[in-house]
Amino acid sequence: MGAVEIELKDVRKVYYKDRIEIPVLEGLNLTVSAGEFVVLMGPSGSGKSTLLHLIGGLDSPTSGSVRVGDAQLERMTERELTSWRSRHVGFIFQMYHLVPVLTAAQNIELPLLLFRMSAAERRQRVKTALGVVGLSDRMDHRPNQLSGGQEQRVAIARAIVTDPRLILADEPTGDLDAKTSEEILELLNVLNTEFGKTILLVTHDPRAAAHGQRQLHLDKGAFYRDEAVPPRTAAVAASR
Amino acid sequence: MALPISYHWRNLFVRKTTTLLTVLVIAAVVGVFAWMLGFAASLDRSLSQARDETKLLVLKRGATAETNSALPVDEYNNLNQLDDIARDPTTNEPLLSPEMMVQISRPRVRDGGKTWGNIALRGVTEAAFKVHRTVQPTGRVFSAGAQEVIVGVAAAQQFSGLNIGDTLELGYGNNRHYTVVGYFTADKGPAESEVWGYLPSLMNAYNRTMYSSASLRLKGGADPKKVIELIEGPKIQLSAQTEAQYWQTQSASINTYLRITKVLVAVMCLAAIFSIANTMFSMVAGRTREIAMLRTIGFSRGQILSGFVLESVFLSILGGLLGCVGCIAWLYVMGNTKDMFGSSTFTTLAFEIHLTPTNLTCALGSVIVVGVIGAWIPAMRASRVAVVTALREP
Repeated sequence: MGAVEIELKDVRKVYYKDRIEIPVLEGLNLTVSAGEFVVLMGPSGSGKSTLLHLIGGLDSPTSGSVRVGDAQLERMTERELTSWRSRHVGFIFQMYHLVPVLTAAQNIELPLLLFRMSAAERRQRVKTALGVVGLSDRMDHRPNQLSGGQEQRVAIARAIVTDPRLILADEPTGDLDAKTSEEILELLNVLNTEFGKTILLVTHDPRAAAHGQRQLHLDKGAFYRDEAVPPRTAAVAASR
Repeated sequence: MALPISYHWRNLFVRKTTTLLTVLVIAAVVGVFAWMLGFAASLDRSLSQARDETKLLVLKRGATAETNSALPVDEYNNLNQLDDIARDPTTNEPLLSPEMMVQISRPRVRDGGKTWGNIALRGVTEAAFKVHRTVQPTGRVFSAGAQEVIVGVAAAQQFSGLNIGDTLELGYGNNRHYTVVGYFTADKGPAESEVWGYLPSLMNAYNRTMYSSASLRLKGGADPKKVIELIEGPKIQLSAQTEAQYWQTQSASINTYLRITKVLVAVMCLAAIFSIANTMFSMVAGRTREIAMLRTIGFSRGQILSGFVLESVFLSILGGLLGCVGCIAWLYVMGNTKDMFGSSTFTTLAFEIHLTPTNLTCALGSVIVVGVIGAWIPAMRASRVAVVTALREP
């Protein structure tokens, strides 16, 4: 494992509904090393997605600190966070969130438009990302011309095209059948093992969780179990 | 770098019906606006030919227009006392033109003669061609002893029965047959909407013993105000005004028409703003998760805002181009000639509406501004989408 990539200290997150305080995360402490594949599990409403949003700089903690790499997120302005996300984090969503009017290549190219980069270099990067996810022959297809699994692969390509160090995946297989889910999880494994990406995966699915190296169980806003996935389980999952 | 143009362009066609309706509303606004600009410019061009400050129009005191003015010959002769009237270099005659004006009614060409309009029939002498310098006969001029008239080209285009060889029933009781023997131009000025004949012949035909008006040309350097004071003074006791002043008064009803059209365009612009805003609101509402995704991967609020404004500008340009093409087609199919009723002459001023590139650019530019205004609030809403909430939407 490498240096500490993510460090949460006493993170608390509270939402308010009709002036009523709803605590979501209660004094969380967490350390994730660079290159780790961490799976976040827990029942609905346990705070998994909220935690992911805090680490991804999409939301800010009510109190406590969130450090990702060198960035102390709670001290950054919204503008700084927006710029930071574009450079350091790749997001994968359950519903893919592809732009329906753009082709696969154009969807993947979107994050690159935020960088000073020539069109040729962007094209090259898109090709590489499509190659990694195994969709080189679907470059000019629109999302409605792709299967669910292919759409998620395009979303993964979009997440890695800027070569971020951290990938945050929120239920990426939640909308896929078992076989396609397995392929997507395999792909995440490849990104972790071959490309050294730190991955935080939110899932309900124990089979998906088996692909990680470490499982964090969250309930009612607090971790109640933090365990390493036995290498054998991971190896089996990887070999499926 | 902002979002790709293709992203915004293609998004316009996701909701085809809404987009089409909005484009049609914008097209209607631009079409009317372009027409109004063309109309105003053409009218202005026409009246600009009648802004000669060295030409005075003399009427009977108290008269407001040539049609209600009667100038006895002896009072007209008093004008010869004026020192500041220019003189013909060859004959040394004062450039003073006695004129008679009556209205004649002719069927309009544009509706196949269903409606009729009044035209000014002006009786003139040779002096008129020296005083009204812009008037240029393009063929034969009426003969002094014959019942002949020449027709202004704008009148000939707009009214039927005014072509060379046509016969007009003129005179008191319409019992005199006058033949059209030629046309004349007047640099697209108001005179082009008139019919001219020989003054003594027409006075005889209409049993007139008095002129309607007199036009005179001032010497170089003469002060029109002083000459007007003399004409309106105790010695002559007539009323006078420069040609510019006269046409400013006569075009008052046209200006009212223009003002009403401007109000109509303003109301239509408001409707377009609401239509654009409505379309953009529905676009934003339908793409909340997409906006949240774009914000998540690093697009700033400003980029989202400018993106939606750009989509609205595309809508405006589409509608604007359609409106311009529609306006040009309308003028081509329905004819670009227009006649406006003078407020007190009771005659028409005929002119052609020409859309210039400036008119079209101005109309398009204005509708782009309308597009930006209409899109602003929806675009602001888009830029302020709550990312975390939107990402969780089913």
